[in-house]
Amino acid sequence: MKDVYFPDIAVIDNIRNETGDVKTFTMRFKDPDIQENLTYRSGQFFEVSIFGIGEMPISITTSPSHKGFFELSVKNVGLVSGVLHGLPSGSEVGIRGPFGNGFPYEEVFGKDLLFVGGGIGLAPLRSLINNVLDNRDNFGRVIILYGSRTPGDLVFRDEFKAWEDQPDVSTLVTVDRGDEKWVGNVGVVTTLFPKAGIESKNAVAFVCGPPVMIPFVIKDLLKLGFKEDTIISTLERHMKCGAGKCGHCCIGHKYVCVDGPVFSYREMKAMME
Amino acid sequence: MSRYEEDLWIITRDNLVALMEVFIKTREVIAPVRGHGEEVIFYPIESIEDVAWDWQYVNAVLPPKRFFLPQTEVMFEYRYDNGYKITPRYDDRVRMIFGIRPCDVNALVFLDRFFGGGSLSKKSPDEEPLFPDSHYIKRRANTFIIAFGCHQPGENCFCVCCDGGPFLEEDYDLQLTSMNGDYAVEVGSARGLKIIYGNEHFFHMASSDEVKELERIKEDALNKFGDTCAYVSKAIRRVTEAKVDDSLWEKLAERCLDCGGCSYVCPTCCCYNIVDIPLSEKSGIRTRTWDSCAFAGFTRIAGGEILRSDKKDRLKRRFFHKLSYQYIEKNKRHGCVGCGRCITTCLGDINMPSVVEAIRKQKVTVQAAATLRHEEEI
Ligand SMILES: Cc1cc2nc3c(=O)[nH]c(=O)nc-3n(C[C@H](O)[C@H](O)[C@H](O)COP(=O)(O)OP(=O)(O)OC[C@H]3O[C@@H](n4cnc5c(N)ncnc54)[C@H](O)[C@@H]3O)c2cc1C
Ligand code: SF4
Ligand code: SF4
Ligand code: FES
Repeated sequence: MKDVYFPDIAVIDNIRNETGDVKTFTMRFKDPDIQENLTYRSGQFFEVSIFGIGEMPISITTSPSHKGFFELSVKNVGLVSGVLHGLPSGSEVGIRGPFGNGFPYEEVFGKDLLFVGGGIGLAPLRSLINNVLDNRDNFGRVIILYGSRTPGDLVFRDEFKAWEDQPDVSTLVTVDRGDEKWVGNVGVVTTLFPKAGIESKNAVAFVCGPPVMIPFVIKDLLKLGFKEDTIISTLERHMKCGAGKCGHCCIGHKYVCVDGPVFSYREMKAMME
Repeated sequence: MSRYEEDLWIITRDNLVALMEVFIKTREVIAPVRGHGEEVIFYPIESIEDVAWDWQYVNAVLPPKRFFLPQTEVMFEYRYDNGYKITPRYDDRVRMIFGIRPCDVNALVFLDRFFGGGSLSKKSPDEEPLFPDSHYIKRRANTFIIAFGCHQPGENCFCVCCDGGPFLEEDYDLQLTSMNGDYAVEVGSARGLKIIYGNEHFFHMASSDEVKELERIKEDALNKFGDTCAYVSKAIRRVTEAKVDDSLWEKLAERCLDCGGCSYVCPTCCCYNIVDIPLSEKSGIRTRTWDSCAFAGFTRIAGGEILRSDKKDRLKRRFFHKLSYQYIEKNKRHGCVGCGRCITTCLGDINMPSVVEAIRKQKVTVQAAATLRHEEEI
């Protein structure tokens, strides 16, 4: 029986500074067999261990179509994330998972896809976006809308161009507050909606971002004609086990770590609590 | 009757003592022992002298949960020596728990399903259980259960209305019931039967009179519960349908001290925290410890926001988890076995029967009725 609490060791091969407080870590499992056999869905997460400090849930930001490594983008917000930020390349961490349900993927073949990300919330979406773009023919139009507080808080900046270059993909970026060099959009992410030419008819929207952003985005999506079950988002809860046991992540009768973190707006509304 | 084997056996008290002496030599035997004063607790025993016999206690003040989910347990050790090496720690001692009461056995069955992974949503019924908990499962599988049927309920017991007791019909190895100075022995499992056959000289087959006598004792025990009833079904329905007005939780919250005692003494509460403890610069242990949804920090996320910061939301959470049909469906039963320990423990008189009664007696208010109409409109 596989012990669900037993972490496998992964090595940090590369570290990229995304913003002042977000780093992307490229990792691989030390045991080549484990790396080889790794399968996951976009939207799933790992429990990342820094031994002696603790664990934290982090979304896998790499597309499942990329093999041989995986990436985690982590914002420095506290204990475990802080220590991880201080580690040099070559360090070892513990990894458990993948956990969670992940985004619908096969289920949205043939659909137009709208991605709405805020801040570090682009991390889980990036996995799905890249998987969609690597299998471009399976999907309709793709619109990516992304916002952050300042230009310095935009993550994965290098990738926007590559996304934009793909056929029938538009990527629009905005910041709440610009700086001297910023010539792009200014305003919260919903201000991009009118500019993006969104058609809700055959579309599914994926929304990830800070909790304050989600209700506003959903409100505007409903106005655009999206249905409660074509709006897909994620919930953030305190998590310890990732396996539906420790009780920390429960909302109503759902274990966010197992039944989520991905839910449709309809499911979120039905959660009693 | 749904015993593993229909035959009823009898063991005299002297023989039981002799049999237990044998067990004590070959495995860890956990039994009720006298703590301070009248209180009885479960503890590993070294001699049968230490045992509190069934007529000397109703139930232990703390459930035997800690022998399966210890208050703190080491999950693995880590050591850094040119790379991390992790060694899991399992407890695979062969054990026997003697004198456990039916409510506590039913609580273990509840935990078996939960930690076995059987409570999680599955896509098809024959799918493998999700994320079985090896640490719990190993301890449970290695523990033989000798339960004592309850012919004399305690003042706080309400197992009768919670499918918790006073006698077991399944899920035990052996069930003993005091009868005319001897013990009637029911066999609940293959390994229970093996104990009988392996020690046949200690047992004899019950006569048909003795079989009838056991039935009479069981009926008699039921009658002794008198008015003790929690009437949970109405509370289940109201909690399930979100018809309980928040004012009820607000009122209860005024009396809750956030101590978590209710969760710690409850045989089915099993939320935990995971904590690393460094032992040197290069080594340490990962532990898990009991936690409680009554604590504010239980839902704290990055940035310090506490998702259930209001005490009333935490109480509501606890009783939703214990009573709602949404959880009954997952766990195949509601989360209370009627042991009554929360009655003894809570200084604020917040316990299963009192909360159930409050829910039952609350008038469905205008507010609750309005949400109901609103839902119908959708
Ligand atoms: C499914 C999921 C996916 C996530 N994906 C990402 C991601 O890709 N990138 C990213 O930067 N962040 C992500 N987060 C948030 C991230 O988990 C928290 O920022 C992180 O746990 C903070 O840990 P800490 O020890 O640095 O902070 P502290 O505030 O010091 O945390 C203290 C303790 O709380 C525990 N904890 C458990 N769950 C949480 C939680 N949700 N928030 C805060 N503390 C928690 C931690 O394990 C830690 O031991 C995700 C959260 C969830 C639930
Ligand atoms: S309900 Fe009672 S036992 Fe539970 S935390 Fe509150 S005061 Fe403590
Ligand atoms: S809720 Fe109270 S009575 Fe019910 S099992 Fe838990 S401690 Fe016992
Ligand atoms: S994180 Fe432990 S139950 Fe979900």
